[in-house]
Amino acid sequence: MVELEPGTASLELVDTPFYPQEQFQCGPAVLATALTSSGIAVEPDDLVERVYLPGRQGSLQVEMLGATRMSGRIPYRVDGRLQAVRDELAAGRPVVVLQNLGVAAIPKWHYAVVVGIDTDRGEIVLRSGVDKRRVSSISTFLRTWRRSNYWGFVVLRPDVLPTNVDRERYLAAVADMQKVGQREAAATAWNAALETWPGDPVSLFGLGNLELAAGGNVEAEDHFRAVIALNTESVAARNNLAIALARQSLFDEARREIALALDNNDDPTLEAELRDTEELVESLAARQY
Amino acid sequence: MKLSLLRSSMLHIVALTLVSGGYAQVSHAGVIDTGYLVDQEVRAARLDRVETLLASDSVARQLESLGVDKALVAERVQALSDAELRLLEQEMDAQAAGGDALALIGAVFLVLLILEVLGVTDVFKKI
Repeated sequence: MVELEPGTASLELVDTPFYPQEQFQCGPAVLATALTSSGIAVEPDDLVERVYLPGRQGSLQVEMLGATRMSGRIPYRVDGRLQAVRDELAAGRPVVVLQNLGVAAIPKWHYAVVVGIDTDRGEIVLRSGVDKRRVSSISTFLRTWRRSNYWGFVVLRPDVLPTNVDRERYLAAVADMQKVGQREAAATAWNAALETWPGDPVSLFGLGNLELAAGGNVEAEDHFRAVIALNTESVAARNNLAIALARQSLFDEARREIALALDNNDDPTLEAELRDTEELVESLAARQY
Repeated sequence: MKLSLLRSSMLHIVALTLVSGGYAQVSHAGVIDTGYLVDQEVRAARLDRVETLLASDSVARQLESLGVDKALVAERVQALSDAELRLLEQEMDAQAAGGDALALIGAVFLVLLILEVLGVTDVFKKI
């Protein structure tokens, strides 16, 4: 499952920067390496306050992802397979991994960056700790990587999709960028997604929400209508369209959309938002008269 | 699950917190977030506004107690997705913290400590 296809060529990203780590700070060092590779000039010291957790003398995985987002880059989880790692290396992207260098009972968690695979010698090359090139046998590497459930990610520029992209995983990653407020990156990424998957409803909806947040009600309306054209049952799109319309004082249309949304809705988790929208439409309409 | 009276009063609390710069994400009332259209897993992990507030608050307090500067906590919490917030809220202690620290489990530590006190070992630099 984790093996490479036979005949795969060796590969090493020799230009990957190197930041030797300070004690307990493989997180900042590794993140600095990956971010700098993606074009963001940053030093480990800049990242300490974003990912280092003094009480745990280390960095949490989700905070590594969060700090990537706040640097305007998309953290994309890779499949836990050597081939997946190699595919990203082939695209010029080193892979951040979490290893357990100890044993299950006494773990020694450690972040490193995979920069190369030597298929002839069966070795992995990592930027790790204070070693610019830490060479490990593939089997040892896999053993240490397995203990983190093969956790790894790459740092994506927002205008670029990962190799052999998993569509849902990518869309979720972009939605998370939007959620944390990285709007410019999200917009770029949604547009990149639409180039790969023309008419993708999630991307259109995402762009619509960005417009709503920026006050672009007309543009938002266009995006939500595009989603509805693809799926007339889209309750979420009708809801958000109603808001875009109400903000343009198009109250009758807004009422029609939210009524349709409420009518079509069979998801109880949406009920609160739909009712809020209904109230919002009426309160905006009331202000007019 | 929630009484509508409770919900609207909680929403007022959330709204006030958002205005005062609390941890919760800025999201306008009624707008359905993009996560709703992504796959099942993402949809299931979504937090509503009240849950987001509570989870953010809980994670913030945990980070602070683990030594993160109070002034930095809000930004760190804000960088996390709904699923990540939920994960940390429930399982921060169980999460791996990559940093090469040898996390000795309790029993091993105790044994070493006893041996140290008895003068059998000299593992610890200072007690």
